[in-house]
Amino acid sequence: MAATQPTNTRLKVEFAVSLVLLAAVAALPAVVTNAYWQGVIIVSMYFAMLSIAWNLLAGDTGQFSLAPATFGMLGAYTTGLLSYYYGTGAAIGVPAAIIVSGGVGLLLGRIVLRLRGPYLALTTLSFAEIMRLVISNSIDFTRGDLGLNVPGIFQGRLPYYYLFVIVLLVTQIGLFYLLRSRAGLFLRAIRDDEIAAASRGVRIVYWKTFAFTLSAAISGLAGALYGHFAQFVSPELGLISQTGIVISMVVIGGLGTMVGPLAGALLVYVASEFLRDSGNWQLVIFSLLVIVFARFFRQGLWGILLSAFDRKPARPASPATATE
Amino acid sequence: MLTLDLLINGLVIGVFYALMAIGLSLIFGILKVVNFAHGEFYMVGAYAYTLLALMAGVSPWLALPFALIAGLLLGLVVERLLMRPLYSGYTSWGVMRDEYAVIVTFALSIFLINVVDKVVGPYAYKGPALIDISRITIGPIAISGHRLIAAIVAIAVIVIVALIIRYSFWGRQIQAVSQNRLGASLAGIDTAKASAIVFSLAGGLAAISGALLANIFNPTPDVGVFPAIKSYVIVVLGGMGSVPGSIIASIILGVLESFGGVYISYQYRDTFGLFLLILFLLFRPQGLFGEKAREV
Amino acid sequence: MPCLAIKNVSKAFGGLKAIDNASFSIEAGELVGLIGPNGSGKTTLLNILSGHLSCDSGSVELDGKPITGLRPEVLARHGVLRMFQLTRSFPRMSAFDNLMVTGCALGLSQGDAEKRAMKLLEDLSLTRIMGLDAGQLSGGQMKLLEFGSCFMVPPRIALLDEPFAAVHPTLKEIMSGFIRSRHAEGQTFIVVSHDMPVVVELCPRSVCMNAGRVIADEATRTVLSDKVVIEAYLGEAAA
Repeated sequence: MAATQPTNTRLKVEFAVSLVLLAAVAALPAVVTNAYWQGVIIVSMYFAMLSIAWNLLAGDTGQFSLAPATFGMLGAYTTGLLSYYYGTGAAIGVPAAIIVSGGVGLLLGRIVLRLRGPYLALTTLSFAEIMRLVISNSIDFTRGDLGLNVPGIFQGRLPYYYLFVIVLLVTQIGLFYLLRSRAGLFLRAIRDDEIAAASRGVRIVYWKTFAFTLSAAISGLAGALYGHFAQFVSPELGLISQTGIVISMVVIGGLGTMVGPLAGALLVYVASEFLRDSGNWQLVIFSLLVIVFARFFRQGLWGILLSAFDRKPARPASPATATE
Repeated sequence: MLTLDLLINGLVIGVFYALMAIGLSLIFGILKVVNFAHGEFYMVGAYAYTLLALMAGVSPWLALPFALIAGLLLGLVVERLLMRPLYSGYTSWGVMRDEYAVIVTFALSIFLINVVDKVVGPYAYKGPALIDISRITIGPIAISGHRLIAAIVAIAVIVIVALIIRYSFWGRQIQAVSQNRLGASLAGIDTAKASAIVFSLAGGLAAISGALLANIFNPTPDVGVFPAIKSYVIVVLGGMGSVPGSIIASIILGVLESFGGVYISYQYRDTFGLFLLILFLLFRPQGLFGEKAREV
Repeated sequence: MPCLAIKNVSKAFGGLKAIDNASFSIEAGELVGLIGPNGSGKTTLLNILSGHLSCDSGSVELDGKPITGLRPEVLARHGVLRMFQLTRSFPRMSAFDNLMVTGCALGLSQGDAEKRAMKLLEDLSLTRIMGLDAGQLSGGQMKLLEFGSCFMVPPRIALLDEPFAAVHPTLKEIMSGFIRSRHAEGQTFIVVSHDMPVVVELCPRSVCMNAGRVIADEATRTVLSDKVVIEAYLGEAAA
C-alpha cells in the first residue's frame, strides 16, 4: 500500500506551490509592462485576498458566509471616510480598516454562532444587503452611490503592485503557520463535524468567532488597499455579484486548499479581462464553471491537478465501507 | 382613505409574494435546501410572459400559461441536473450537502441573470397588463384593473395549489417525503419523483408571480433578486416547509412594507424584512409554523 | 464521594418520557455496563451526561460538583469523554490529526499530543493507516479511532455508546483488551451495549433500563438472571 500524505504534508505542498505562484506574479512586470494589465493583476490580487479570507471561513472552518465582498467594502469605506472627514492617509486608514472590519466580523460571527447551512447563508446574505443599502442610502454621510475619493499612496503602478504582492505573501505565510498549529486542527475539526469537535473539547464559540474575525480583518485590509489603489470607493464593492465572483474564484481554484483561492482569483480575473473584449460573457462562463466544478470537482482545479500526479491506490488496504 | 389604500396595497403585494414563497417553502420542506436561484424562476416567468405578448403579439391571457410552463420546465431541469445528486448519494461533497446546494443555486442564479442579460439584453420591457382598465373602484377602494385581476388569478392559483398539496395523491406523497424522506422511501414512495414535482411546481409558481407582476415591476435580468430576498424572509417567518405559514407571513410582510414605506422610511422599506429575517433566524428559526430542526 | 452521581433525572420529548426518574452512582474505577432494550433511554441518558441534551429535572454530579447544563466542550475538559452510537470523526483529516484534535483541545502541548497519539495508534494497531483521512477508513477502523480519541487525555469517565456494534471481531478484541487494561489502571467506564457476552466478560456491574426507568442495578450476572430484566427484553412469557 502506497503511503498517503498526512494533512501537514498536503499543507506544505500547497503552501510551496502558492509561493511559486506569488514569485511568478512578482516577476511578471518584467514581461508585462503595460500599465493597464499591471492594474488588472493588482485588482486580481485584491480579489485573491478576499478569496483567501473567504476560503479560511468557508473552506477551512465550514462557515459558508455570503458576505465576503461586504467586508472588503467596509474596509474600503473605513479608510475612505477617514480620509474624507479627517484627511488621513493610508497609514491610519489601513490599520483602521482592519480593526473596523475585524470588529464587525466578530459581531457577525457572534450573531450567527448557532446557525448552519442555508440559515447561515441567508443571514449573512441579509447582512450583506443591509450593509450595502445602508451605505448606499446614507447619502449625507457616505455620499451614497456617488462614492468617495481616496488619496493614493504612491506615484505609478509598480509600487502598488509590489505592495499587494508583499501583503499577499505575508498573509499566506501567516495562514500557513496558523493552519499548521492547533488552531488549524480546531478550525478543520469544526468544519468536518462540529458536534464531534465539541464533544472532544474544542471551544466552538471561540474558534468560530476567531475565523469570522480574521476573515473579515483580511478582507477589510484588502478593501482598504484597493481603495488607495483605485483612489475611489463605492457601494458597488459590496454587491452580491462581487461575492459571487469571490465564491467562483475559490470554488474553481479549489475550496479548502492554500493554493485554490490564490490561483482561482488570478485565473478568473485575468481571464475575465480577456473575455471582456469579446462581449462581457465572463459572469456567464464563470458561474457555469462553478456549477460544473461544484457538481463534479469539489477540489477545484487544484484537485484536478493533484489527481493527475497522485499515485494513491484505488482502494485503501483494509475493507472499506461507505462512510457517509 | 390612506390607511385602507395602504392595507389593500399590502394585501395585494402579499398575495404575489405568497406565490413565490410557497414554492420556496415546499422546496425546503422536501429537499431541506434553500434555492438561491428562486428569483430567477420569477424572472424567467416575467420574461416569457412579456416577450411572448410583446414580440409575438399573443394575448396576455395566453402568455400567462406559457410563463407557467416555462417555469415548470426550468424547475424540472434544475432538479434533475443539479439537485438529484444531493440524494442519490453521489456528490464529491459528501456530508456538506447544504453547502453544495448553497453554492450551486447561488451560481445558477448568477448564471441565469447573466445569460438573460446577454441573450435578451439588459433593457427593461414593460409587461403588458391583463386588462386595460387603469382604475376600478369598488366602494372606497380604488385599484388598477391589472392589479385586481392579477391578484384574483394569484389567489386562485394559491388555493388550487394548497388543495392539491393537502388532498391529492401526489400532494400527500410530497407531505410524506417532507416529513421523513427515508421513511417515505421505505414505504414505497418515489422520493425522486416527488422532489422533481416539487421543484417543478415551485418554478411554475414563481414564474406566474413574475408574469403577473411584469406590468408593475418591469422585467430586467435582475428583476428577481428583490422578490427572492422577500421570499427568503417570508419562508423563515412562516416556517420553512409550511405552506400556510408562507401564506400568512407573505400577507404580513406585504402589509408591513406597505405601511412601513409610508410611515417609517421609504428608502429603507426593503430592509425591514431583512431585519425581521435576522431576528427570526436568531431567536425563532422555525418561524411561526415550521418544524424545529433536530441535531444529535 | 462517587465519581458520577445521577439523581432523579427525567427527560421527556413532547409526550414521550424518555427517561423517568433515573438514579444511580458510579464510583471511581468502576466499569459499569448500561443495558436495556431499544428505546429504553440509554443513549438519551448518555447525551445528558455528555452535555448534548439538557434534562428536565434532576441533577448529575461529577466528583460532587453539579454538571447539569454544561456544554459538551466544557464537560470534555472536565474529563467526560464519549463515543457516539453512529461513529463521528473528522473525515477530511488524517487519523493522526483526528487524535491530535482531542489532545490539543484538552490542553496537551503539541509535543505531548504527538507522543500520546503515536502511542495510542500503536496500542490500537492503527499505525499503518495513520496518514489516511478518517473518511477513507473502514467503519470499524473509524470506530476504533473515535474510541482512541477518548483516551488522548485519560478521562475522568469514558462513556462508550455501543462500541462493539457492527465491529470486526479482531477490532472488538483490541477494544475490549484496551478497556480491560485501562480499567486495571483505574479508569472509570460506562459501556452501553447489546452484546451480552462482552458485557458479562467486561463489566462487573450492570445497570438495566427499560422505558426510561432504571429497573436493575447489581452485579452483571445477577442482573442478567433478574426476572424483571428478562421480562424487559423478552416479554412476560419468557420470564
